[in-house]
Amino acid sequence: MQLVINALIAGSLAALIAGGLSLVYGTLGVFNLALGQMVLIGGYVTWWLHQVVNLPLVVSIAGGLGVGAMISWATFELFVEPFWKRHRFLPLVTTIALSMMLDGMILLLFEERPRAILPGLKGSFPFFGARVNDTQITLIVVTLLLLSGFAFILHSTPFGRKLRAVVQHPHAAESLGINAPKINRLIFILSGMLAACGGIYQGIDQNLTPTLAFPITIKAYAAIIAGGKGHFWGAILCAYLIALLEQLAIGVPWFGGTYIGAGYQQTVALAVIIVFLLLKPNGLFGSSIRSA
Amino acid sequence: MLKRLLPILSFALLTLSACQSGSNSPVKIGFLGPLTGDAAPYGVDMLNGVKMAVEELNAAGGINGRMIELVAEDGRCTGADSASAAQKLVNVDRVIAIIGGGCSGETLAAAPVAEAAGVVMISPLSSSPDVTMAGDFIFRNYPSDALKTKAMSALLREEGFTKLAMISENTDFAQAFRESLKQDFGAEMIVFDEVVDPGTKDFRTLITRLKDVEFDIFFPNGQSDAAISAMMQQLREQELTQQAISHDVADSLTLGQMSPEAVEGMYIVNVPTAGQGGEFESMFNQKFGGAQATIAFAAHAYDATRVLAQAIGTAGTDGTAIRDYLYSMPAFDGIVGSFTFDRSGDVVGVPYGLKTFKAGAIEKVRDLPVIPM
Repeated sequence: MQLVINALIAGSLAALIAGGLSLVYGTLGVFNLALGQMVLIGGYVTWWLHQVVNLPLVVSIAGGLGVGAMISWATFELFVEPFWKRHRFLPLVTTIALSMMLDGMILLLFEERPRAILPGLKGSFPFFGARVNDTQITLIVVTLLLLSGFAFILHSTPFGRKLRAVVQHPHAAESLGINAPKINRLIFILSGMLAACGGIYQGIDQNLTPTLAFPITIKAYAAIIAGGKGHFWGAILCAYLIALLEQLAIGVPWFGGTYIGAGYQQTVALAVIIVFLLLKPNGLFGSSIRSA
Repeated sequence: MLKRLLPILSFALLTLSACQSGSNSPVKIGFLGPLTGDAAPYGVDMLNGVKMAVEELNAAGGINGRMIELVAEDGRCTGADSASAAQKLVNVDRVIAIIGGGCSGETLAAAPVAEAAGVVMISPLSSSPDVTMAGDFIFRNYPSDALKTKAMSALLREEGFTKLAMISENTDFAQAFRESLKQDFGAEMIVFDEVVDPGTKDFRTLITRLKDVEFDIFFPNGQSDAAISAMMQQLREQELTQQAISHDVADSLTLGQMSPEAVEGMYIVNVPTAGQGGEFESMFNQKFGGAQATIAFAAHAYDATRVLAQAIGTAGTDGTAIRDYLYSMPAFDGIVGSFTFDRSGDVVGVPYGLKTFKAGAIEKVRDLPVIPM
């Protein structure tokens, strides 16, 4: 049980980030490699507002999300929009450059020492044979709510229909009067906000350090690739799945009672994903047509 | 065009470099340490200690009238970055000597570069036992973990602990400490021994497994205070209340601020908080607004810089002469104590202390005896 909880905690973080990323990949077909930095900025801004300016937590989180949205909007206008239509790999280069700039900026603004949004120990309580604390429960529930809210918008509102239309065939959608560029921009900003959520989550549950960005980006990409390119639910499920695999890899005894060394935690999870992909190259949930 | 310019250019460069080696040109000293990344709190303390020494020395007239010029490079606590940083310091900046690295992995990776060029390197912070054999030109004024794990093992035995659980980060420093402790405390005393990737923050599943292990003391063997903070928080969240013990890295004020309850009462075995409460600390705080990890790291860097300046002042700027001076110098009275270097370049004369966290602050408990090899 504790293992499942552990996986939920780690998976929620990955799912938030991977979900937004897969939307962007599904609609624009571009890779945003500055995603990890956006995660950190969301977290750091929240830390700053809460710990330095002493604003209440809710206001700080709103601030972190706001800045996250603004940064991703600026990123879209300056680093993605001018390039992606010429070649969809161009933003790969521009966002790598951006990620380096943001890395430097994070170091200058927030220094190199680790930061925790809520320092100190959170009291934990027993929960079906596992121990959790209320922040963790809140984080898991909020993530699930956010993601299901997203699902509702995506599948049951006119806006969601437009969005899916753009994903499936941008030109056809545009010819039907859907403002595809506007939708693209919105999706990019949304993914940035989900990323900022991830950073806030990380800053509350553990702590933030400037070197965290790259591993976060890698994990999110592993999830969207495993889930099937541009498949929103696939990416989210895979984020949870990778987290669960990571916990299972080291949490239970394998092959006659020996444990796998913790250093192999990520290796094992990613190796399993590779095997899956060998059997099903379109991703676990991918089909031959693009879907969202 | 380029062909015609080339001789002129090279002549200009030659005259420039000739100017540089004049008697009043600055003495270039390199710095190598983790200035970004998880290990940066102690890298920044180190650099500030060096800066302070350089400013003081320059204000007092430099080394025999020559100003000291500091060239700082970021080793990022990784071998690859440090090796290229050392290459730059030695081959591009042509420094006379290097203060650094901070992380043991940095020093070990930079050592072959410095050794090949005959450039003296004094590490103010690297404690891995491997640094002892890193080379003839490699010194350190920070004691080896080979001694520290001996002191730690003696403490553990004295306090009656027999079942140690440890989680180590996979870095040169943490791994060397782990091996060395295993040898001194006895592998059979270590009931839980896991190694994680550097930078890991999620230890929950390992902690879950720890619940089924009978242990009486926990050792978060991390390379950074961020990792130790996460380990201790997640341990205490699971209501595991065993005593904890750690090393230099835990000697960090940042750790006390981030997880005050989780680290309460944790033992820290480290060099004494050299420089604390003295004139050195008040001047340091005035200049840099306080230490990020601990003032002791700044003090070691400060002393390393001063001892190097003394060596250059006496023996000149030749690498071999500086090296020979350091091996044979009389005891140097620094902030961290009165010390010399032994024949492998390790410091002699720096003791250990036992400290603990109390309400987020670090308090000294008592001195620990240094048990010679």
